[in-house]
Order: sequence, then C-alpha cells, then structure tokens
Amino acid sequence: MRPKEEFNFFQDQRVRSAFYQILTAGLVGWMVWYLITNTAHNLEVRGMNTGFSFINASAGFDTDFKLIEYKPGIGTYGDIFIIGALNTLLISFLSIIASTVLGFIIGVLRLSSNWLVSKVALAYVEIFRNIPLLIQIVFWYIGVFSLLPVVKKSLDLSFGAERVILNNRGLYFATPIPGDLFWMTLVTLAAAVIGAIIYRRRAHKRQDATGEQTNTLLPSLAAIIFLPLIVFFATGMPLEWDIPTLQGFNFAGGTSVPPAFLALLVALSIYHAAHIAESVRAGILSVNRGQNDAAMAIGLKPGKVMGLVIIPQAMPAIVPPLISNWMNTVKNSSLAIAIGYSDIVSLFMQTALNQAGYAVEMVGMTMAFYMFISLTISFFLNIYNKRVQLVER
Amino acid sequence: MAIVKATKTPARSAPISESSILGWLQKNLFSSAFNSVLTVFTTYIIYLTVNGVYIWGFADATFVAETRRECYGNSLTGACWAGVIDWLDNIFYGRYPREEIWRINFGGILLAFWMAPLWIARAKGKVLVGASVVVFYPFLAGYLFSGGDKGLFMQVMISGAIVAFAINMANAIAGLLKQQSIVRLVIGSLGQTNAADKTQRNLLIALVAVGFGAAYLWQSSWTVEFVTWTKWGGLFLTLVISGIGIASALPGGIILALGRRSKLPVLRVLSTGFIEVFRSVPLITVLFMATTMFPLFMPEGFVLNKLVQVIIAVVLFNACYMAETVRAGLQAIPKGQFEGAHTIGLGYWGTMGLIIMPQALKHMIPNIVGSFIGLLKDTTLVSIIGLFDILGMLRSISKDVPWLGLHKEPLIFGAILFFIICFAMSKYSRHLEVKLSAGNNH
Repeated sequence: MRPKEEFNFFQDQRVRSAFYQILTAGLVGWMVWYLITNTAHNLEVRGMNTGFSFINASAGFDTDFKLIEYKPGIGTYGDIFIIGALNTLLISFLSIIASTVLGFIIGVLRLSSNWLVSKVALAYVEIFRNIPLLIQIVFWYIGVFSLLPVVKKSLDLSFGAERVILNNRGLYFATPIPGDLFWMTLVTLAAAVIGAIIYRRRAHKRQDATGEQTNTLLPSLAAIIFLPLIVFFATGMPLEWDIPTLQGFNFAGGTSVPPAFLALLVALSIYHAAHIAESVRAGILSVNRGQNDAAMAIGLKPGKVMGLVIIPQAMPAIVPPLISNWMNTVKNSSLAIAIGYSDIVSLFMQTALNQAGYAVEMVGMTMAFYMFISLTISFFLNIYNKRVQLVER
Repeated sequence: MAIVKATKTPARSAPISESSILGWLQKNLFSSAFNSVLTVFTTYIIYLTVNGVYIWGFADATFVAETRRECYGNSLTGACWAGVIDWLDNIFYGRYPREEIWRINFGGILLAFWMAPLWIARAKGKVLVGASVVVFYPFLAGYLFSGGDKGLFMQVMISGAIVAFAINMANAIAGLLKQQSIVRLVIGSLGQTNAADKTQRNLLIALVAVGFGAAYLWQSSWTVEFVTWTKWGGLFLTLVISGIGIASALPGGIILALGRRSKLPVLRVLSTGFIEVFRSVPLITVLFMATTMFPLFMPEGFVLNKLVQVIIAVVLFNACYMAETVRAGLQAIPKGQFEGAHTIGLGYWGTMGLIIMPQALKHMIPNIVGSFIGLLKDTTLVSIIGLFDILGMLRSISKDVPWLGLHKEPLIFGAILFFIICFAMSKYSRHLEVKLSAGNNH
C-alpha cells in the first residue's frame, strides 16, 4: 500500500526550489537595479554623455596602423571601432597560424627519439610557458625591435632587392599592384587548383578500386605553378610593385607594419606555440602505442606513420585545447596596449574613451566584440566535437 | 643418464646499448645518419646560444657600477646588472619605506611558519590549519602591511590570529615530538583524559579565552606606522594581489560551479552567464572596466581606491576560471558517491560539504596550483593600468636618471625571477598530481 503523501509547505521540494530561485533572482535583480541607478545618477552628476550617438561623431585622432581608409577629423568613432577590431583580428589570425605551425613542430620534436632534440624542445616549452606573456611582449618590443638599425641603416631582408626592409620604425615590404589582365592569371590558378583536387580524388578512387597508386603530388604542383605562370607571361606580366623607397627621413610606398605589430606577433606566436606544443604532445601520447607498432609493421615509413596514422587519431584530443589556445591568443592580443599597437582595446577602449568619454557604451562594445568572437569559436568547436564523437569507435 | 647441468648458467651481460655510455649515446643521439646530423647541428646551436648568453650575461657583464655610463665604460657588449642590483629593494618591495620593510618580511615568514604543518606528514589537524590561515592571516597581514590605528574589529581579528598561530605552532610541535594533537596533550597533562567530553570542552574554551585575553592585552600595547597603498609595489604587490586573488577565487569558484551544476534553472542560467561572460573577455578589459566603471557603480561620494578596484576585478575574473576547474573536479566524482550520500540521508549541503567537495578538492589541488601560476603571471597586467607591481618597477628602472634607457637587463631579471617561481610551482603541482593519483588507483 502506498503511503499517503502529505503536503508540508516548509518541507516540500518544489516550494523550496521555487523559493530559492525567487530569492536569488530577487537579489541579483536588486543588485543590478542598484548598480544601474547609481550609474545613471553618477553619469548625470558628472555631466557625462550617454547613448550611441558618438558612433557617427568624427574622431579627431589618428592611428599609425589601419586597414581601412580613415582620416582624422573626418572618420568617425565607428570607423575607429572597426579599425581596432580589424587590427585585433589581423594580429590574432597571423599569430594563430604562426603559433600553430610552430607548436606542432615543437610538439613533435618533444617526442623525437633524439634525446638532445627532445630536451631542447622541452626547454623551449618550459621557458616560454613560465615567463609572463606581458614581459615577453615588452621585451621583444623594447629589447629587440626598437633596437634595430635606424632608417638610414635599414636592414634589407630581400638580399639587395630592396623589397623587404626592416628598421626601428618597422617592416616595409613591396606590395603588388595587379594590372588589367591579371585576373586571367588568377582564373588559371583557380582552375589549376580545382583540376588538381579532381585529379587527386580520381587517383584515390582508382587506388580504392584497383590498389594502384598514382603519384599525384608532382603533376598537381606542376600544374598549379606552371599554368598560371605561362598565362602570366603570355598576358605580358600585368603586375607592378609598389616598392618602399627612402624619402626624406622615412620610407614611403609599399606596405609597412610598425615595430609594435612585429613584437606582438613574435611574442604571441612563441608563447602560444609553447602551449600548443604541450597539447600536441599530450594528444599524440593519447594514441594507443599499438597503432604505431601496427603502422610500422605494415611497412610505413616513420613520417607516414605520423602523418597518416598517429596525427589523424590524435586530432580529437588535440583540437579542443588547440582551439581554446586560439581563443586565448585573441584575448591575449589585447596586451597590445602595453606597447602601443592599435588594437581594439588600446584604440577604442582607451584612446577613444579618453577622448569622447562614453565609458559604459565603449567598454560594453569592446567586451561584446570579444564575446562575439569567443561564442563564434566555441560554436564551431561544438560542431567539430559532435562530428568527432560520431565517428568514434 | 639424465642430461642435467649441475651449475647455473651465468646471466648474459646486458647488451652494450643498455650498459655503457657509448651505447646510450649511440641509441639516443646517433641512431641514424639523420639523427647524427641533427645532434651535431643542435649541439652547435646550443653552443652558440649558451656562449652568447655567457659572454653577455657574465663574462662581459658589469655587476658593480654607479651609473649606466660607468657600465658602458667597463664594457660595451655586456649586460649592466649593476642597475638591477641597485634597484633590487624596489623590485621586491616597491616604494615601501625602507625602515619598515621588516614588516613585509615578517609577514612572509609568519605565513611560511603558519602553513608549514600542511607539509609535515605527522602534524595533526591539517584542515583546521588551512582554515585558520584563510580566516585569520589576511587580517594580521593586512594590518602588518598597512599599519595605522587598529579598529575594534581589527584588534579582535589580530588577537584571534595570534592565538590561532600560537595553537597551530604548539600543535605542530606536539605532532612532531609526541605524535599527538595539542588538544590531547593538554588534556592529558592536566590529568583530564578520562573526564567527560563536556568538561574537556569547557576546559579548552577557558584556556583559549585566557589566551585570547592575553593576546588582546598584548596587541593593544603596540601599533605600527601607517603605510599608504600607493607605496606598495614590486614583487610584494604582485604576491598580495595574486594571493588575495587565489584565496577568494576558490570560494567564489565553488559557489559559481555549484550554481552552474544546480538543478534550479534560475541559479544555473545566472551562474553560467556570469562565468561565460568573464571567461570570454580578456583580463585587461576587466581591469579597465574596474577602473572606469566601478566609480560609476558606487553611490555618490563612495570612493574605492585603485588597488581595491583591481583586486575586485582579479577576484571576479579568477573566480570564473576557478569555477571551471571546480566543475571539472566535480565531474570526476563518480555518480555512486552522490547516490551513496543520498542513501544515508544527507541533503544537498551535507552531500556536497561532507562527501563530494572533500574528494573533488583533493583532485583539484594540482589544477589550483596551475591556476595560481596563471594568476601570478597575469598579475603583471596591473602595471598597464598604473600600479607599480614587479613589472611596473622593472620598467621604471629605465626612467631613473643614473640608469636611463636600461630596458633589457631588468626585463630579463624579471623573466628569470618569474621562471624560477612558476617553474618550481609547476614541478610541484606535477609531483602532487603523481602523488595523489598514486593513492587513488582503486
């Protein structure tokens, strides 16, 4: 017989949970309301501006590094936000690529059978992981890139061709300017790449069906390199170079990046490569040793064992920490402010905020930008994780 | 005739690749032509690096000089460590008055002694030791570092700290010498071992009360000079910020993690939102938010100083990261533990506090040490918003007139200092990980 359930108001699970939830919501709501009223009152007392009208107001300051057209006095705070966001994305993107490549190399070297090499890789990881990133960034900026030769004694990194020039004002390099018929070269290149992919697929199918292997690499490379070149020469080399030349006290023409950009790029890449190397190593070690032995037993060479058997299986273990590292790279690029690279924090949250004084809106917009990036990245990570889980055996 | 060998066959000697240095070299460094080339090449690179560092940092370096010019006079190619040595006090203590520095050192030594029993296997009552550090030490240290007039609350906390410290030390010594807790020892020496529990408890309370009274009288007889927070700096400030950060981030993280795993939707959504917001933005934006927005949040006329703003920001930020560490620790606890706890009739707080958390926290210790390392490194960011932590101090050397433009050496010194601290701690956390997992293979 089922005992009769008695409703006791103070002991009932549902009443309690509703009570706790209302209590919490009330407390949090009260606190938010308290902060908002305080802020509104303070803004009013201090005569500070509110609202988003500043986005269309013209900003009176310039920045040394921008990817879009902008003139001080004409460009708006909205432009400043975009410049900062693009600069953050650019430096993060380049650092992510560099640190991932470097990290994979170091991670594989950590497991090298050569004792010395693996110890050197270990030293790299331990040294760069245990020194604060900010010290590294400042060191690269003040200790390396600011101590480069002056403009008159610039280093020529292109061996006398004067196409890539490095001095204490930054890196200058020639920019190609496509001519009239350059699009034909690009079209050929695209066609060659598509052709190579189709060729590769066919070769794979053939191998699956008959077991015959075809060397796809050489013909593909030849097609991708030579076909566009032939078109390029046939159309009369429609490409000019905007070459940086010394004018007065500085270089003009070409593209230039400031030393702060270089310092940040190098420091971020080196620091995050050390972290990535550790996750690559952990991922590779997580693959069952039998996989290695079996791959060796069927006669694969060590390079192919790594590339075809170990790394693909290690990827599910490597990717999540790898992506969280990428996220950290984006966040850590905000340290640019210490050396004056115009990323979103130093340009928008610092300079623009000091000029215009819309503290709440500008801090909010900057944080929203980072949150948007993080949410986007974790969205893709979740998709990847789901796909990986499906094929797991 | 039986074919039996009467003597034991001697063991074959180990293969040459396992037994001799040459064999080891052959196996690990020169196993193939490619490996040999790699070894030689790497050796050459190492030689170049080590030699360059040696010449710059030691052979050609200047350790004693009055100005940077003097360093140059000595050698143009070597490091100028004299500047760093000249500023050593500033690097460690900031602009803290020189004659008061003993207070910082004393506070550090006190903490070391207070926590020492945690590492002594034979000492009893480790949980109480840890709790007493968290509850009392911050007040004692806070007063030691800042000084000035003691309010009534401060006087009570300081007296409590003195009593707690004394009991802790006595307990550690009793544990070491007699392998007994101080409580048993005192009861025993008073001949009350067989007395009723209540009598024993009253006796102890009386003893502690007498001790507290004595401590209260003693501490009211002295004060230390007031040192304003703007004079705090250097490694000391870095350690204060990260110490408070980690100590408060842990309880905050536990609350947030429990909220995130809660069955109550409102709690879950709020905690998750809070954690995710702070985890998706960089620390520097949180610090800027603290310095630009906190003054707006506060009621009119209420001013927080910058150090407090920074500490609040660091605590909020780290609590969110700690919450994820705690959540991972909670997830590692098997479901049977929850069910077992429910079976014996424990409620939510009983289950969490008595069964789940103690196990989860033990597993999390290595990760907590890891977070502390991260926090210590992140604390250098406060130099960007104008606090003179260790990095701020290192960077001001180059603005000091005798050492104008001396950038590299201070930064390298700071890097070495951080490396030593962080590397030692990460080694220790790895050691803990091994130790804890060894005791857990069931």
